[in-house]
Amino acid sequence: MRYLWLGGLLVLLLNACSTPTAKQAASPIHIRWAHDPETLDPLTLPNQSAIDAINLLHLSLLQVDYQRNAYAPALAQELPKAQLVGDSLTLIDYRLRPAATWDDGRPVLATDVAFTLKLIQCPGLPIENSRAQFSFIRQVRLDPADPRHFVLVCRGQGTEVLNASGDFSILPENPLDPAHTLRQLSLAALQDWPTARPPAPVVAALVRRYQRANLARQPEHLPGCGPYRLAAWETNQRLRFQRKAHWWADTLRPAPFVLQARPRQLVFVILPDDGAAVLALRRHELDVYAQIPARLFQQLQASKAAQQEFVFYTNSSYTMLMAGFNTQRPALHDRQTRQALSRLFDPAGLLAATQLGEGNRTVGLLPPSNPFYNDSLPLLAYAPAQAIALLRRAGWQRWPDGHWQRPGTAAPLALSLRYRTGDATHATVALQFQAAAMQVGIPVTLVPTENSVLTSSLQAGDFDLYISMLKGSPMGFNFAPILHSAAIGSGNLSRFGQPATDQLLMTLTTEGNERRKRLLLRRFQVMMQVEMPIVPLFFLPYRMAVSRQLRHVVASGLKPGYAATALSWATPGTLQPAPH
Amino acid sequence: MARWLLARLGRAALAAWGIASLVFLLSRLLPGGPEQAAQPEAGDLSRPVAGRQSAASQALTQQALRQRLGLAEPVFYVSRVAGPPVTWRWNGLHNQYHRWAAQVLRGNLGQSYRNGQPVTTLLAHAIAYSLPLAATAAGLAVAVALGLGLYLARTPHGWLPALVRTGLAALQVTPLFLLALVVVLLFANPDALNLLPDSMLDGEPATGLPALGYWLARAALPLLSLVLAVLPSLTLPLAAALHDEAALDYATTARAKGLTVKAMLWRHALPNALLPLLTTLTELLPTLVAGTVVVEVLFTIPGSGRLLAEAAAAHDYPLVIAGVLLTAAVRLLSLVLADVLYFLADPRLRPTA
Amino acid sequence: MKPSPLPPLAQPGYWLALAWLGLVAAVGLLAPWLPLPYPAAAPDLLHIATPPAWLGAGPAHYLGTDALGRDVLAGLVVGARRLLALSLPAVGLATLLGALAGATAGFWGNRLRVPLAAATGLLAAAWWGWSLPIYFIFILLIISTLLLIIIKWRRAAARQAALTVALPLDGLVMGATTLLGAVPRLILLVALAAGTPLAPAQLLGVLALLAWPEPARLVRAQMLRVRALPFLEAARASGLPEGRIWWHHALPHACRPLWAFTPLSLGGLIGLESALAFLGIGQAPDVVSWGSMLASVRQAPAAWWVAAGPGLALLLTLLSLQQIARFLAKKMA
Repeated sequence: MRYLWLGGLLVLLLNACSTPTAKQAASPIHIRWAHDPETLDPLTLPNQSAIDAINLLHLSLLQVDYQRNAYAPALAQELPKAQLVGDSLTLIDYRLRPAATWDDGRPVLATDVAFTLKLIQCPGLPIENSRAQFSFIRQVRLDPADPRHFVLVCRGQGTEVLNASGDFSILPENPLDPAHTLRQLSLAALQDWPTARPPAPVVAALVRRYQRANLARQPEHLPGCGPYRLAAWETNQRLRFQRKAHWWADTLRPAPFVLQARPRQLVFVILPDDGAAVLALRRHELDVYAQIPARLFQQLQASKAAQQEFVFYTNSSYTMLMAGFNTQRPALHDRQTRQALSRLFDPAGLLAATQLGEGNRTVGLLPPSNPFYNDSLPLLAYAPAQAIALLRRAGWQRWPDGHWQRPGTAAPLALSLRYRTGDATHATVALQFQAAAMQVGIPVTLVPTENSVLTSSLQAGDFDLYISMLKGSPMGFNFAPILHSAAIGSGNLSRFGQPATDQLLMTLTTEGNERRKRLLLRRFQVMMQVEMPIVPLFFLPYRMAVSRQLRHVVASGLKPGYAATALSWATPGTLQPAPH
Repeated sequence: MARWLLARLGRAALAAWGIASLVFLLSRLLPGGPEQAAQPEAGDLSRPVAGRQSAASQALTQQALRQRLGLAEPVFYVSRVAGPPVTWRWNGLHNQYHRWAAQVLRGNLGQSYRNGQPVTTLLAHAIAYSLPLAATAAGLAVAVALGLGLYLARTPHGWLPALVRTGLAALQVTPLFLLALVVVLLFANPDALNLLPDSMLDGEPATGLPALGYWLARAALPLLSLVLAVLPSLTLPLAAALHDEAALDYATTARAKGLTVKAMLWRHALPNALLPLLTTLTELLPTLVAGTVVVEVLFTIPGSGRLLAEAAAAHDYPLVIAGVLLTAAVRLLSLVLADVLYFLADPRLRPTA
Repeated sequence: MKPSPLPPLAQPGYWLALAWLGLVAAVGLLAPWLPLPYPAAAPDLLHIATPPAWLGAGPAHYLGTDALGRDVLAGLVVGARRLLALSLPAVGLATLLGALAGATAGFWGNRLRVPLAAATGLLAAAWWGWSLPIYFIFILLIISTLLLIIIKWRRAAARQAALTVALPLDGLVMGATTLLGAVPRLILLVALAAGTPLAPAQLLGVLALLAWPEPARLVRAQMLRVRALPFLEAARASGLPEGRIWWHHALPHACRPLWAFTPLSLGGLIGLESALAFLGIGQAPDVVSWGSMLASVRQAPAAWWVAAGPGLALLLTLLSLQQIARFLAKKMA
């Protein structure tokens, strides 16, 4: 193994014309992004690139620790203490780090948190989604004795509430509202402001100031307390972030993982095309390339030259490929029909075909690595004979010409399948299901739909089946947004919902007792397999290639799949100092 | 001539306005507006959304977004209220079209829905990349097409012309993305041939001759793809037209007077055969501002093709409509230009009203 | 223009071209009955992007499979059928539409005069179609009276015979081509189809609609030139009606550039068709065409065989059409 490495190094040295010289500590690290962040407004966050960028400029109370895939305190000194009040409120007690300061030297205080929460609720800012998302925080109770101590009064209970209460960038009050005008309005008053009523004069003035700052394009107008500042942004080409020379968290000992910021410069190169990105990686224009498609990854791994230059990581992720039924359609209303149709998907074959066998099949919404995974349930498998038997049991009859019809209904069993156009994985699943259903005698119409129209069609229920990705997380068990009957028309695309399941979903989010939680989650997975509103196919793997010269690589199953701020160049101290 | 030109330009401006207005009204009728594009993806449980987003609260959020973007107002001066009996309602001047038209007449094309930046700035920035690229490509392509066309007309038989013809036909059936992909895989691939210079160190100011050389080397591959892509549709009709002209009486006369084939083609046949070339060429002009999405994506050029395609996908109407206005204007201008060029190429084609 | 006998050996290119097109037609017509080892639309999950069988030990995918696991050979055969049913008719329809529109626009310019009654009829149709309010009739009446007065006054000035209005044909045709060219494809297609898949006849219409501007512009440009040629002046001087001159004398000359152009436009149309398929507006991926196969290389750039088969077939078809067009053009001349 060591000789192999040495050999690789030798080849690297000999092949100097095609390989870059050893990197200096100050050399920028080049990371691939598929999209431009579009806006760097710290409260808008329209896409993953924007989220990653904002996390470099600003800090939240809690941030994801990619080493442990869990939330860890960032601006908060420690994880907050929660206290349940009644059956629907939580009091969350935070304390800020005493060392935390803004760029201008002022300390980060509880008033900044209160200001940020109120700012989110100001009407007329381009942050409608954040506004809806954080409307569960009803009140900020400041502590007159300790300017860094505060309590958030939140609607709802459970781990999600706890995590979400700390998951927004804290903005400084002073530059945006030097006269502290917003302090006279309470958070609840802003939230409950009627839409018809014109906003309060202080709010209107603040909104104007915020818009004039043009943070979407010029985030440097607002000092953050994060480790980086934006040095250059060439739209649709690259973004360069420069490490602040002096950052407050540098003095923390030991430095928590979420507050480590090693690279002096981070450059994000925007390459929408995967093929072009692989070639850029090979040409040493990229050092980190995450989310590589399966086949390109395989080719890269097979290339001798690439093996010497890059380390390859494959992680199981929390993103699941799934199919869903429109449970409100008469033909798909009963669970046996849905079970029958679920047997026509071939998860094992699809996993082999689209992901080259990497990734994990699953029995339900939890990945097999989850401690609450119900391993006594059978995995779904392609079984047309079983599907026919189940269809018969559901009351369908097969006619001599091959089609299926229920006595008393006019229409034979025929399905339309909607999915996002242009995605090869989705198209493969659709074609496989169509071919399998055709063999059984069920005609399936494929309706690939353009992305901008897809969500509205799905939310309106204009489909029989759909294929999509479900982005999960290891941190909570709140499946209500996709399965609760109150979410029909928004997140609950399968339009599934029964009083019993609704109640189970709500209990799951709040249950604190480990043993009862295990029982509930196992019951939930059994229930999902019986009711089958959605067919879990498999969890996707995340594939990443990283330059061999980089150290402290943390590969994670959570997006973006790596911890950019932890990386550093492997430079021995003997090298010449960096020229700049 | 001047009066004719003025009338043509005036009519072109009117037509561009009409087209932009049509697209403006059409965009408001399309399914899936910006509020759909801004919506968080369904099935994302990774960002903890406390309290599930019910359909009602989602509708409220979308309503607020429409309000902010000014989409809550009526679209046009009049609106048709469906359902029997059909009635028409007068909306007055407080409508989206009036607002937009007034804005555009004052030279303001509006702000992008996605990041609130002025559309003019965004477009100007993107065109600064697309224009030089497309203009150079068009110039190169015309030069090569003229050379190849004259060659094919001069030597209609033989294996080399046949090979050239086949090659051009092969280029014609290759989609642009495949062409660009092949170019990348051949010339920017460490496993094959890497012509691209090493990327410059970041932070180094790009000035002077080395920077120019660097950008030229970077531009070579997209240029090659673009030239190859338009070459067949320029060359083959030109060659055919030259061939036709060379068979006419005046060409025979010219030859009889002792002109060489080359001189005859160049001096007599070419001006007459230029018409199809000019038409195809003016067809290419709009890409100067509209860009070429495929090449820009593959070679990471932040040009207007990418900008407008992304805007269309995200239903960013102000940007889309500004793009339509600009493209339509250039298209119409190129038509006027074509008519002027026809006149210059053949003074008998006196332009008429 | 005498019919000349054509011995096969004298025109090898022409006969080869005919033979290839015949083969494509035969394969396309017989596609449902040909014994193929794999169906065209069903993916073979065990063999995704597999090279052709003759390159290595593989199953009976003679020409390999694409990134979705579909058999390339079966795709070629089914694609031939689609070429016959959709692409070639669409090219023909677009060329026909474009030639007529361009020739009218180029010949008459903006000066074709139509009776005023036609304009009134158009307004009446709009009134009926959109069920405009009753008072609109009064507005219409007032406007038309005003128009009449103006026209009468101008007629007195110009001493024209009938009550006519000038139809800006050239402006309309050029405006329509500009509109189609300026609107982003995505917006246009989404607007045309509004997210639902189109029936084959509608798809044919959409393709023709998107492809007609180019031949229209070519023919219009040529018509501008033909209009000024001496023989047309002679025809006019002999008192032939304009319509006859246009149809019998001007049109055939103005369509000359199309002989070289139309075969080429097949390539563009195939690209357009696959763009439609990509948007899910044209056809779902279970309908395989040569264009969509070419497009699927994007998902697996290393699988050259996916592009080679349909690319070669397309190239041969294009060359054959070119050959035949050149022969016909020579025969017409």
